[in-house]
Amino acid sequence: MKVEGEHLFKGTPQQVWELFRDTDVMAAALPGTQKMELVEDRKYQAVMQVRVGPVSGEFSGELMLSNEDYPRSYSMSVEGRGKPGFLKGVGDVVLAEQAEGQTLMGYSGEVQIGGRLASVGQRLIDTVSKSIISQAFEILDRALAERKDAAGEGREAPIASASQGDYVAAVARDLLTASWVKWVLGALGLIIIAVILVIALL
Amino acid sequence: MIYKIIGKRVKRVEDPRLLTGGALFVDDVNLPEMLHAAFLRSDYAHARIKSIDTSQAAALPGVVGVFTAEDMGEDWEPGPPLVSPPPTLENVTFHSRRQVPLVKDKIRHAGEIIAVVVAESRYIAEDAVEEIQIDYEPLPAVVNLEKSLQPDSPLVHDDLDSNLAAHLVQKKGDYESAREEAELIIKRRFHLDRGAAAAMENRGLVVDWNAKDQHLMVWDATQSPIPIRNGMAARLGLRTHQVRVVAPFVGGGFGPKIMMFYAEEMVLPWLTMKLNRPVKWIEDRRENFYATTQEREQIQEVEMALSKEGRILGIKQSIIHDTGAYNPYGLTTPLNTQSHSMGGYDVKNYESELTVVFTNKTIVTPVRGAGRPQGIFVVERLLDIASRELGIDGRDLRRLNFIDPDDFPYHHQIIDQAFTELVFDSGNYLPVYKKALETIGYDRFLQEEQPRLRKEGRHVGIGVVPFIETTGVGPYEGARVAIEPSGKVSAATGVGTQGQGHMTSFAQIIAEALSVDVEDVSMVTGDTAEIHWGTGTFASRGAVVAGNAVLAAAQDVRQKVLTLASKILETPEEELELDGGLVRVADIPEQSISLGELAVLANPFRGAVEPGTEPGLESTKYFGPAYGATAFGVHALILEVDPETMMIKFLKYVTVEDCGTMLNPLIVEGQIHGGVSMGIGNSYYEKLHFDDNGQLLNASLADYLLPTSAEMPPIEVIHLNTPAPNNALGTKGVGEAGAIPVPAAFIQALENALAEYELEILETPLSPNRLFELLHKQEENQ
Repeated sequence: MKVEGEHLFKGTPQQVWELFRDTDVMAAALPGTQKMELVEDRKYQAVMQVRVGPVSGEFSGELMLSNEDYPRSYSMSVEGRGKPGFLKGVGDVVLAEQAEGQTLMGYSGEVQIGGRLASVGQRLIDTVSKSIISQAFEILDRALAERKDAAGEGREAPIASASQGDYVAAVARDLLTASWVKWVLGALGLIIIAVILVIALL
Repeated sequence: MIYKIIGKRVKRVEDPRLLTGGALFVDDVNLPEMLHAAFLRSDYAHARIKSIDTSQAAALPGVVGVFTAEDMGEDWEPGPPLVSPPPTLENVTFHSRRQVPLVKDKIRHAGEIIAVVVAESRYIAEDAVEEIQIDYEPLPAVVNLEKSLQPDSPLVHDDLDSNLAAHLVQKKGDYESAREEAELIIKRRFHLDRGAAAAMENRGLVVDWNAKDQHLMVWDATQSPIPIRNGMAARLGLRTHQVRVVAPFVGGGFGPKIMMFYAEEMVLPWLTMKLNRPVKWIEDRRENFYATTQEREQIQEVEMALSKEGRILGIKQSIIHDTGAYNPYGLTTPLNTQSHSMGGYDVKNYESELTVVFTNKTIVTPVRGAGRPQGIFVVERLLDIASRELGIDGRDLRRLNFIDPDDFPYHHQIIDQAFTELVFDSGNYLPVYKKALETIGYDRFLQEEQPRLRKEGRHVGIGVVPFIETTGVGPYEGARVAIEPSGKVSAATGVGTQGQGHMTSFAQIIAEALSVDVEDVSMVTGDTAEIHWGTGTFASRGAVVAGNAVLAAAQDVRQKVLTLASKILETPEEELELDGGLVRVADIPEQSISLGELAVLANPFRGAVEPGTEPGLESTKYFGPAYGATAFGVHALILEVDPETMMIKFLKYVTVEDCGTMLNPLIVEGQIHGGVSMGIGNSYYEKLHFDDNGQLLNASLADYLLPTSAEMPPIEVIHLNTPAPNNALGTKGVGEAGAIPVPAAFIQALENALAEYELEILETPLSPNRLFELLHKQEENQ
């Protein structure tokens, strides 16, 4: 599966770069994240638990960064495994400075998935990943604004975490337009886990 | 022969039970103290197992045990080679690699079993499966058939030099000389893809070892209970009489349920003996997509040489056939492809190279059609192309090339799936073809309807495709028929029933022979306690092989009835007649005796039975043909396609069938209806999508599209009869027939409906999506 897109951040490439290195912020942006930590240089570990409807599963994964060109670009690879299957991906992120202190983040990647995620979740992945990505960016935008404000006021920024409920609502909103919504409810949980790791990758 | 009951449209006697929920299926078996099994299956298509940790799973309350290959110890062994390669062919390469009960070291397809959990309920067992920790080393997967043979391809079986599973060449005549004489040579590359059998009932097993009785009871949704019994006994070190296998009502077989042994069939009997408790496992739908065998992927390059008049001078073929991760079923499927690649045509020169490859995909064994649709597809597609290139009507091409009725038995000089020479026993193809063209209204459609509808902007097309089906092969089947003291008849045969109506059609044979009512015959199929010998339900052979064994046993019982009645009624046998459960003297109808009374007299409680006679009115007989019976048929259809949405609608569907003597036309028609629906699936809906990593991407019935009643056309079924000369009933098989020609006929009609696009479709199954791609590619080319 190919993942690609872009997002405009209201901050400089340096600020965005730092934001993405903050494991607490990343964990907050991704619902169900139980743990996300830097285990060694440029290597992160994450454990995520997601429960939607009748489906639940724990995923543990590892994220490696490489080819860092601060603050312009980096590459990453991710490998995750859990009860609903496995995931393996590579991707590139490019941060391009824009006018008025903004940054256009471009991302592209190739993700392999397997197990129940692939066999049952295939058709929903695109839709659900879009929901999750847009929701994660909302939180990251807020976090970035908080950080800028806090830095201006000389205090520490609070972390705005997404609740499981926010997340479910966001996905449901994006899916409700589709007629196969009943089916979705069963399969949703599986895909979410994949998509979360895709996001973790980005 | 004029029959009173055989050939009548008798309603199926099993249907009231089936329709009211009164029939026993494996999942209906619930025993006291019964445990439930769930399997941990690999998510990876190709990976090495570095370690397995079952401790957390085993610690869950309600879990009785978690077992891996290591736990099986000496009892671990791969399944048996079910069908070896033909010993009669020279220069055959065949590497036998069989499925294993639990994977020891390397996973070879997604869904392969690594561990089994046995628990007090299936819920607990499934939860525990999720707690098993496996450390995998993922390996690149072998998926693409052609890439599998490249020198740098990963290997499915590390001990082999390549992924080549088998190789052979079959030759008839001299293709190269034929080629030199040819006016036209057509060569095309075809891709035929995988589908699922998708039986309504998934697989399932209940096993119960009774240590006090030293007896293993097995309920198995199998097509082949007797070989399962024999194999289980051998694997477990038991005598065959210590194992009873019952295949009760089975909700569809279609081939995969004859695969022996599935891993589950190896593991469950071992578990019940180890745990001394009954164990149940019912396959879920996702398991069915991964773990139940599949079929049809082949890449073929086929060349046809034709004369100016359109006579087929020869066919040269190269087949790459996907066998999946293992090849327990030998070469049955691709040999069938070869047997059907000349269709019903008189082809004097044929050369076919078969290359079978291992891939990291689910095991391939026959699925209804079993290699035959692929053969019919390539020969019929090539004739359609030849018709365009030679400017000869496709109908004339076919009529010119049909095997002449005087040429039967027609010797093909190649080996078929039964390892004997491919011989077509009988047939008369032209009248069947003519009948199909008339019934569909071919000329009127082309001259009137199609132009009229075209003017309205509608895309309608016609397709008519003849086909053969080799059926009724050996080795043998048996039947036991007995008259009980009640006067009713009990009978059994070793073939299992998965919806074929055996309990009715076999009962009709017995009712005919003994002049009793069909309702008075009770037929048991698929219970090893009822008959000791048999092979199974496959290759469209029930009506031929088991049917003729039933006839032989019933006729023998009739003779016993006459012999005994002659003595008692003091009348010569020739003057006796059987009617309505009585034997009477033809001239003096009041002098009679009932079959029940005779059955009592045949089993005296005192006195002496005469030397050389047997007690009872009972007989067991076997039938095994030297070679099979070859059926013939034609499918003709008219369809409409919307080139905007790519949706298809069938406007008319006609089949004309010559399956020899019909035991029951209602049942024959049911078989054809079911076959056509499978063929429609194979044409336009059903395709298993594997990605480059060997992951199946549509393993649910939401994503894998089966045709429903909404997609099914009304089907008109017409019968003509050329009785099979080599069996007493004259029957030929029809179980797979309905599915065989559909993709070829469908695509012929589709190309006709979209004539302005000048499509040449060389693949199946299509889908609305794929047709859209093909149309748009063609528009760009134009």
